[in-house]
Amino acid sequence: MSHIVQIQTQVRDATAVDAACSRLGLPPPVQRTAKLFSSTATGLTVQLPEWTYPVVFDVATGDVKFDNYNGRWGQQQELDRFLQAYACEKAKIEARKKGHTVSEQTLADGSIKLTIQVAGGAA
Amino acid sequence: MKIIEVTVSPKGETRIETKGFAGGECRRASRSMEAALGVRASEQLTTEFYQQSSVRQSLKEGQA
Repeated sequence: MSHIVQIQTQVRDATAVDAACSRLGLPPPVQRTAKLFSSTATGLTVQLPEWTYPVVFDVATGDVKFDNYNGRWGQQQELDRFLQAYACEKAKIEARKKGHTVSEQTLADGSIKLTIQVAGGAA
Repeated sequence: MKIIEVTVSPKGETRIETKGFAGGECRRASRSMEAALGVRASEQLTTEFYQQSSVRQSLKEGQA
């Protein structure tokens, strides 16, 4: 190995959001203005399992808006699971755009490892 | 073989690791993936990075 980078995931790709919903068996995302208890937010909305209000992603800025009332109106774990699926799908889309080969493996701790073999040995 | 490993934790945090690249080439290889996934929280250069850089440096010095 020669280089390790930690990334804080930002949701900025509508195609990858759609792929993440499909991967998790969620309804497809919808671009709309959604009610979040006492406020509203406009963006790409995703309805997570058992969540009262949808999560709203502004893919132009990477902002995420939701109101789960500290877990009472939706478990954080569901949002985490969505972000994991999004990051995997986004990484696969980017790798394939460059012609790289991708294989996927689920690890014992629940992490998902993507091994990207660089096409022709070049980045 | 040049490999980029992307590991996504159950909380959605991502770690990108490059393998088999020489020196700074690994940074160029992972840059587009980093930008696509979000913002960089930290970076760690491994022993191999420095070893490969110093081999190159030794070669240059030998040629001079």
